[in-house]
Amino acid sequence: MTANISKRNSTNSQSAIGAWWKKQSQNILPPLIAVVIFLVVWQLASSIGLVKIPGPTSMVTEQRTRIYLMYPFFDLGGTNKGLFWQTMASLQRVFIGYSLAAIVGIALGILVGTSAMLNKALDPIFQFLRMIPPLAWVPISLAALQQNQPAALFVIFITAIWPILINTAVGVQQIPQDYINVRRVLRLSNQKFFFKILLPSALPYIFTGLRIAIGLAWLAIIAAEIIMSGIVGIGFFIWDAYQNNYISDIILALFYIGAVGLILDKAMGYLQERIVPNDKK
Amino acid sequence: MSVFVAVDQIEKVFNLSGGGQYVALKGIDLEIKKGEFISLIGHSGCGKSTLLNMIAGLDLPTDGEVSLEGEVVNGPGPERMVVFQNYSLLPWLTVRENIALAVEEVLGYLPKGEQKSIVEEHIDMVGLRPHADKQPNRLSGGQKQRVAIARALAIRPKLLLLDEPFGALDALTRGNLQEKLMQICQEHEVTGVMVTHDVDEAVLLSDRIVMLTNGPESKIGQILEVDIPRPRKRMEVVSHPSYYSLRSEMIYFLNQQKRIKKIRARKTAAIARHGLEKVNLEIGFVPLTACAPVAIAKEKGFFKKHGLDEVSLVRETSWRGIVDGIAGGYVDAAQMPSGMPLWMTLGGHDKDNRPLSMVSALTMTRNGNAISLCKRFYDQGIYSLADFKKMLLKSPNIQHRMGIVHPSSMHNLLLRYWLAAGGIDPDRDVNLQNLPPAQMIVDLQAGSIDGFCVGEPWNYRAAMEGVGFTVATDLEIWPGHPGKVLGVREDWANAYPNTHIALVKALLEAGQYCADPKNALEIRQILESREYLSTDISYIQLGDPASASCNLDRPMREYAHHIFFGDGANRPSRTEHLWHIVQMARWGDVPFPRNWLEILERGCRVSVFSTAARELGVLDVKYNRGNIQLFDGSTFDAEDPISYLNNLKIKRDFTMAEIILDSRTIKAA
Repeated sequence: MTANISKRNSTNSQSAIGAWWKKQSQNILPPLIAVVIFLVVWQLASSIGLVKIPGPTSMVTEQRTRIYLMYPFFDLGGTNKGLFWQTMASLQRVFIGYSLAAIVGIALGILVGTSAMLNKALDPIFQFLRMIPPLAWVPISLAALQQNQPAALFVIFITAIWPILINTAVGVQQIPQDYINVRRVLRLSNQKFFFKILLPSALPYIFTGLRIAIGLAWLAIIAAEIIMSGIVGIGFFIWDAYQNNYISDIILALFYIGAVGLILDKAMGYLQERIVPNDKK
Repeated sequence: MSVFVAVDQIEKVFNLSGGGQYVALKGIDLEIKKGEFISLIGHSGCGKSTLLNMIAGLDLPTDGEVSLEGEVVNGPGPERMVVFQNYSLLPWLTVRENIALAVEEVLGYLPKGEQKSIVEEHIDMVGLRPHADKQPNRLSGGQKQRVAIARALAIRPKLLLLDEPFGALDALTRGNLQEKLMQICQEHEVTGVMVTHDVDEAVLLSDRIVMLTNGPESKIGQILEVDIPRPRKRMEVVSHPSYYSLRSEMIYFLNQQKRIKKIRARKTAAIARHGLEKVNLEIGFVPLTACAPVAIAKEKGFFKKHGLDEVSLVRETSWRGIVDGIAGGYVDAAQMPSGMPLWMTLGGHDKDNRPLSMVSALTMTRNGNAISLCKRFYDQGIYSLADFKKMLLKSPNIQHRMGIVHPSSMHNLLLRYWLAAGGIDPDRDVNLQNLPPAQMIVDLQAGSIDGFCVGEPWNYRAAMEGVGFTVATDLEIWPGHPGKVLGVREDWANAYPNTHIALVKALLEAGQYCADPKNALEIRQILESREYLSTDISYIQLGDPASASCNLDRPMREYAHHIFFGDGANRPSRTEHLWHIVQMARWGDVPFPRNWLEILERGCRVSVFSTAARELGVLDVKYNRGNIQLFDGSTFDAEDPISYLNNLKIKRDFTMAEIILDSRTIKAA
């Protein structure tokens, strides 16, 4: 009897793994196969000379790139740093610029969302400014701020703020009339209204804005750094590698950028899931 | 009790996006007493929610004002708490937090501990203890509504406003919540206003039901008092005698609103043809055997024959519908109980007694009515008026109710006359209730009435179904009394004189057709159809007194057969109309007109009848049917109605008044 049970248990645990694989394999296998095919095609295309850039294996075969691949943490001073540090420098800029954008964007968004007058006055300006691409901001911010570091921050800020601001404003404007009526009937104080109704109600919109903005900010920093010479950052690393014709370095850096962008987006998504009430999505 | 909430001449105008204006509400006047529960009922878009919002202060009236305890409402506030249609709970707060938010804000002056206990008390009150820490999205619709009610009550509002609170719930949940709400309101003496379009809910919960007419310019059409004692139980109110009459009153109102809307949309101008001023007529009738001439004129083409090409019949289930149709100008002409035209002329239909001058040029039927009592009286050996009186004397504590169809109908007058002749005061010893004819049997069966006086086929059917028995027919009270007449507005008759004559001709010829026993089967077949009586053909008996009905048991008297034609039956008789006026004045329904001669001259269009009869070649027109003699041996003297009235033993304090019939020309149709 006992033997019987334990036997069944063991088969159970085995089948549990099997079941998991059965369920997940459908989600894991296709993208895995697609990635492999993509890499193989790329490698073939570059080895027969179809494209002028080296194949993915060059990241290992090229000695310079292999060092960058194997030692992401080295720091030789100046701009000569491992890719981890390069990425961190870019990320730090994003973090500062993005945080500023979030604070200012949400605050302005709430202001604009609650006041129809302000909305009318400012909306055309916002719509106009948000159409200007990040790169176009670079020269003007350099000219205005004179220094690379604050100029880079400004570019991130100005890129990230629009989706946050506009989404927040919409979120505030879209507070259901029911909740407004509750406020009016109960004569809720402004403070209570803000924390108990306005903020929770607009939160899903705000998070949508934040999530869009983080992607944009990451895009912007790379672009900004490419133009701002002589700073530590993955954008400038790419530009520098291009100047020196280290194509495989660029490829490796691209992997970093893509991965970090993905992680940032997923992290925001996770945060959104955790903070925003379920039925509001 | 003093006025608690006063809604004073409210008007609400919405600006349309197209630049126009929509007057949603106009001239709304309503006073609500403390502790009263009011329902607002009406069709969608009639502005009932708008009215509620204005009481709440969420919306402000364009004109007029709302006041609570004498203070003008100019914005929302917690003393007028609203339970919203879609609950309006904050989804990110738990049940407890939702209630606490309101309590903290409104009752913030109380110590924290007390606030807390109020929140907990209300969670318990609506039975949501196990769900107190859940967010609303994990609750069912009924539970959410309970939270909303708890939140509303927790802040101790002076006035509770509910906007279709149970609209989205299933029947079972709704029922439970209704009882819960009633109980809470009773315990806490909450004054409430509820918007609903559930008729049963309105009766169950309300002290008064305010019915709004359709927009634009919705106004209060009618206010019903619900006299069902509290505490009420959902299953028990149904058996209260008032329940069905209240319910049917509301349904009548709502249907009427729907019909008015339809008629408004359809309304076309008068079409003149064949030398007639108007050939497109709407003619009202109530499905009774007595409607035979109307039905036959339509089905056998008598209307068309006399040039009235586009006659449509309007089927009303109650006489009130006819009155409203004529007064509102929605129907051109109608078959009416014999007393109705002059009743309206004397202002009996209007709540301010404003006269609406009517004329009658044709008596369409005579006889056809009877008085039925519940079968159980028969089983107790009550076979006559004297027996009935003895029974009433023996049971003074029991309220006996009897159904009539309309205050102006011969049924009412005959029943009252019959009761009074037997020494029974029809207002004090019994209670007479207005019911639609088709509902009599149902009520008799349910025991909410003890008897009725109504036209056929209902007496006959009650007897056939073993629900009641005929205790007296009109043959025994006043043989050959007028039953139904043709009634039109005086302004209509003046505007379309030739149409009026054509109409009388068509109906007179139809009456002639109905009177011929050869046609009886065909007529009965026509009448049984859905457009008319929608009842079994065996219940429809026209004039044949030798049919099976007479062979029933002893109390089933000789069948009350109809007279449709002949022997001076159709000529409108001033004497008979005077008799009606006298009887209606006797029971205090209308004042007795000092200018009764003028009223009779104007209301009785003998000239139209005479022209119509001559053109048809009907020559057996008598001038006089002789004195009116009733079963009690008294003779009605048309020369001296006032001393006749004074000599009656059982009567109300009647009034005399000069009825001024101005030539108020309301544009007909």
